[in-house]
Amino acid sequence: MERRTALKIVALSALAPKVSAAKAAAHGSMESGTAWTPEAYKLEFFTEAENKLLDGLMEMIIPEDSHSPGAHAAHVSLFADLMVATSDEATKAHWKKGLALMQVEADKSSVAEALTHAAALAGQPASELGRFFGALKEMTVNGYYTSEIGIHQDLQYVGNTYLSAFPGCTHKEHW
Amino acid sequence: MATELAEGGAKVVLLEGGKRVESSQMLAHKWPYELPYRGLRGEKQEPYYQGDVKESVRYDDSDDVGVDRIRVLGGRTIHWNAVALRYAARDFRERSLAGIEDDWPLSYDELAPYYERIEQMIGVCGNDDGLEILPAGKHYLPPIPWRCSEHILHRTLQGMGIPMIPVRKAVLTKPYDNRPPCHYCGHCMDGCDVAAVFCSATALLPKALATGNLTLRQNALAREILVDREGRATGVSFVDQTTRKEETVHARIVAVCCATIETARLLLNSRSPQHPNGLANSNDAVGRYLAGHLGTGVQMYIEELEGMKPSNQDGATDHAFIPRYNYLFGKRDYAGGWDFQVNFSSYMFPHQATMLAGYGADFKARVRQMQSGSLQMGSFGKVVARPENRVTVDPNRKDVSGIPIAVVHFRFGENDLKLWHDSNQSIAEILSKIKGTVFFEPGSQPGGFASHEVGTVRMGHDPKTSVLNRYCQAHEVKNLFVTDGSAFTTSSEKNPTLTIMALSLRAADYIKEQRRRGDL
Repeated sequence: MERRTALKIVALSALAPKVSAAKAAAHGSMESGTAWTPEAYKLEFFTEAENKLLDGLMEMIIPEDSHSPGAHAAHVSLFADLMVATSDEATKAHWKKGLALMQVEADKSSVAEALTHAAALAGQPASELGRFFGALKEMTVNGYYTSEIGIHQDLQYVGNTYLSAFPGCTHKEHW
Repeated sequence: MATELAEGGAKVVLLEGGKRVESSQMLAHKWPYELPYRGLRGEKQEPYYQGDVKESVRYDDSDDVGVDRIRVLGGRTIHWNAVALRYAARDFRERSLAGIEDDWPLSYDELAPYYERIEQMIGVCGNDDGLEILPAGKHYLPPIPWRCSEHILHRTLQGMGIPMIPVRKAVLTKPYDNRPPCHYCGHCMDGCDVAAVFCSATALLPKALATGNLTLRQNALAREILVDREGRATGVSFVDQTTRKEETVHARIVAVCCATIETARLLLNSRSPQHPNGLANSNDAVGRYLAGHLGTGVQMYIEELEGMKPSNQDGATDHAFIPRYNYLFGKRDYAGGWDFQVNFSSYMFPHQATMLAGYGADFKARVRQMQSGSLQMGSFGKVVARPENRVTVDPNRKDVSGIPIAVVHFRFGENDLKLWHDSNQSIAEILSKIKGTVFFEPGSQPGGFASHEVGTVRMGHDPKTSVLNRYCQAHEVKNLFVTDGSAFTTSSEKNPTLTIMALSLRAADYIKEQRRRGDL
């Protein structure tokens, strides 16, 4: 866990990058009153080939299972495109190079084996492929669990609503 | 302050650097996928950081701390977790009892009636738990019931002799003062759309405006406090943020409540022949003694709760609180202590997914299974107030209004680091007694300040080493008052807001009394 998570959660907005209202509106948002749709989305950063590779990798990280659809159905690669397109140049370069490295690995064997290889290097900060796996997984997690599929179908989250009372724990065996 | 004075009959002009955010503009209930960047870039709080407030500060020779300077009508009370704690009697006497820092120039007993009043004005839920370290009020609203994870934590702490209590928060658990109760959405920090969380803009300002004595001037960013030949305050010059025009308002008394960093900035930027070093700063104390909170977050997943059917756990974020307890277990080789807030964020996002190793179907299933077992704790620890930790201004770097920006210089000290290491050991010990998966990597340095920075315009008995007297009145400028976190003589582990509000009420009473007597 990243250190100081508590403080960061409490003071989130102080640490978050500033959002350009115009940029945000262009992507469909509360300002424009339009909902973001994957069909209308045009890639801003990745090429079609990169997006295809990314989509495949993300689906392997969070795949469809008998319980719920995975990262592909949740269009997480398009979320990644938007996030990277609106990041700094170093982040953009990291993603370009990372995907290129993954493609090289995949060409040697398969995309699945390339991901296995990258994941095995994840704890090694000197490994560019390992560092990219960290960024790739984080983006997949962030994109999937903030999507309609991730929140409602997979986690079956039932909050963010109006309750007249909070019941608290009704399982006295935990008291 | 504004409400108290307006209700007392004074003509008050309130200069607010930001503007009102209506409840219809709040984004608290938006789903992540309805926001442009899924809320991951602070979009929900973005309306509260108006203008160039984020850019008008820089850090110089500082540890990893962040100061939070919100700009919106209502200030920090629109964007807070509403934990409302009284300082204990011992927190005002660090020099006498712990041999560090300075004693405050007032005691708990002197402030207690104002704590009682402010708690009734804003509505605080909780209990009187009979703890000397966390004095209680007499008029709390019912506490919020605990979640299962909080009962399990309580059970564990009981076995260790560590008290855990219902949190005391300025969140309504029943209708109060024409405000509705909490609807338990878990978005306290994003702005409360129904005003169940206390916010000065919705709970107090309407009352002040109803008196007819208050003129509210929004988008009015203070540049400097003006003075007469004798060095007394005569008013404030400000820049209208919509027209960029410089304007002036005159006043018999000026009260500054811009929060710790901005208040120091304003005073330091108020230079004149009478106050060449900044207003009320002939002793070079303004900006110094910057303190706040250090802390660490930890996330665990309790095995006996994993795999349960999803249920609505959001609530009002924290429902339980662990007051400072280290003094119960013998003398330490440092001063001060820490407390813990528990389960302080919404349950929507599965934090375990960012920390759990692996990927694929097993990873996805494990994330799902762990979700119901979530337990989150965060420590807030005391930071010692030291003169070398300070706020200055940079005359060479100005904001869009041409006002020199604030510069923060801060390093943690030896006492801070000892306290932090001890708190981390204690977290690890507590959680080791609960069966489950713990994610805890405190790193090598603490983080700060969690928006709890205090102390740059401190109170004190001695005009040589402090800026304000015991009524938050400047030693050098009798018609200048400062009633925000900057007035704190020292920081404790407790959240500062309730004490800020109590000090403000006390200062308002003092102003009214002095005016009646003709002394001000």
